[in-house]
Amino acid sequence: MKTYKIVVLGDFGVGKTSLIRRYVLDEFSEAYRATIGVHIYKHLDSLEGDDLEVSLVVWDIEGAPLPGEQTRRYIVGASGAVIVGDLTRDDPFPAMWQAADMFEEALPGRPLCLALNKSDIASVKSPETVKRMARRYDCSVFETSARTGDAVNTMFRALARSILSLGL
Amino acid sequence: MDLQPDLLTATLGIVVIRLDDDLTVTEVHGEIDDLAPGHDIRETMPVLYGLEEALAGPDVDIAMPLIQTGRNNDEPVSLHIRRDPETGGLWLFRRDVSEESAIHRQLVQNHNSLSLAQAELVKARDAAREADRTKTAFLANVSHELRTPLHVIIGGASILSKTGERRPDPSEVVEYATDIHESGILLLQLVDDLIDLSRSETGDLTLYEESCDLCTIVAGIVSLCRDLPEARGTRIDSDIPDERVGLTGDARRLKQVLLNLISNALKAVNGLAEAKVTVTVDPDGPRLIVADNGAGMTAEDLAIARQPFGQPRAAVRAKGAGLGLAIVHRLVALHGGDLVIETAPNEGLTAIVTFDPARARPAS
Ligand SMILES: Nc1nc2c(ncn2[C@@H]2O[C@H](COP(=O)(O)OP(=O)(O)OP(=O)(O)O)[C@@H](O)[C@H]2O)c(=O)[nH]1
Ligand SMILES: [Mg+2]
Repeated sequence: MKTYKIVVLGDFGVGKTSLIRRYVLDEFSEAYRATIGVHIYKHLDSLEGDDLEVSLVVWDIEGAPLPGEQTRRYIVGASGAVIVGDLTRDDPFPAMWQAADMFEEALPGRPLCLALNKSDIASVKSPETVKRMARRYDCSVFETSARTGDAVNTMFRALARSILSLGL
Repeated sequence: MDLQPDLLTATLGIVVIRLDDDLTVTEVHGEIDDLAPGHDIRETMPVLYGLEEALAGPDVDIAMPLIQTGRNNDEPVSLHIRRDPETGGLWLFRRDVSEESAIHRQLVQNHNSLSLAQAELVKARDAAREADRTKTAFLANVSHELRTPLHVIIGGASILSKTGERRPDPSEVVEYATDIHESGILLLQLVDDLIDLSRSETGDLTLYEESCDLCTIVAGIVSLCRDLPEARGTRIDSDIPDERVGLTGDARRLKQVLLNLISNALKAVNGLAEAKVTVTVDPDGPRLIVADNGAGMTAEDLAIARQPFGQPRAAVRAKGAGLGLAIVHRLVALHGGDLVIETAPNEGLTAIVTFDPARARPAS
């Protein structure tokens, strides 16, 4: 069985680690412990009601408002990306555009999805921007909460499904 | 490249691994758990999944300075993979970087935590400024609303206290006394509204819930409103089901909601037209609808009217301090209900209160 690489990108503190740990380990911590470098999680999941197994390595990459050179090197070989933004911020979108552009430029045609995280304590303030991003990158948008688990598994599985269906 | 793996291992503690082109381990120099010749390197270092293509080229030189793997914060390592240009062999160098990464992580953690805290502070400061502005505007409004009836009372009382020649005649006495009485009632209402509003703000407004019948409440309030002086000239219709519409709620507060909505409608039509109160039972829950065919308002004015003391420009300046809609909104919310207002200039105004269907059962 092939193992697919998924990278999770976004500004620091938006909840990348929390989303991954909710998905892979089903746990959540209120404390903020910054990720440095990359943290790799291997995860075996089943799709379509257990009929389809998928093996993933999820790359939790050190957050930054602008993706740096090292991030560009880290995404090599990724089959898909989750771009995370924090709904509690005044404007979470610039950092998301940056990350999405970088990923698309480096790996054109690979699926990505957008996670608007911390939906348990904030909501989307500019739905127009969200729509514009979804159209621009032809991707799905999920309002996630790593704290409650809302939409987290759904999002990772949707991404895995697009990767499988594209045969990447 | 004159590679001396055992020297690297002995002097720098670097683990050196030689790989086949299919990423099978062929040599291991140094101490590493769970890895021996013949293993697929990716099993031990899942970070290499996805890199197969990048590792197949002739000029492999991939550096990954800080990698952690697994659920716990295993010790971070730096990985470097290179193809030896002379032999064509693929070599992986793995170094423990726990020490230098500890410093790096302190720096990153401090930087990130500080800038997150700063962003929070800026937000808190802006929110506090906004709250301060709202409070100042609110106080200015309260003072204004208190002054008008107080002036009437003070002025009227001073005239009534005159003696001798300047004493008002009996018909004037009645007029001034009536004004004073009405102003007093207005003040009392304003104070009651303010208390309600502040209690709902602090969460101290409690409902005394019982099993109510919406139809009885509506019938009572409609008949009361028909007798109000400001209802003169306005037809108030009601359309209520024959059977009772049970609702768990606070009857006094529900009456207050209805009274506020009808008195808003009366102000809007200003004694010219009609207002109608309807009760329906929808799948979404029991509904209370108060509609008038008065002047209506723009979306902008509606937003103002929803604020405490909001008096839309276009609205007829009538009795009442404009706390009504703000209070209705909170009382409805306390009943797990939803208040929707449909209006447009010259198209009247319809207030629709939908209660939670779970409240439709009479309380046991
Ligand atoms: N309320 C709420 N808090 C969240 C959520 N997700 C993350 N957090 C909190 O946000 C903070 C940052 O979360 P992380 O997952 O460490 O963020 P990150 O994106 O990995 O940050 P870096 O590793 O620095 O890039 C932590 O205090 C989390 O507890 C969420 O869905 N809801
Ligand atoms: Mg992190």
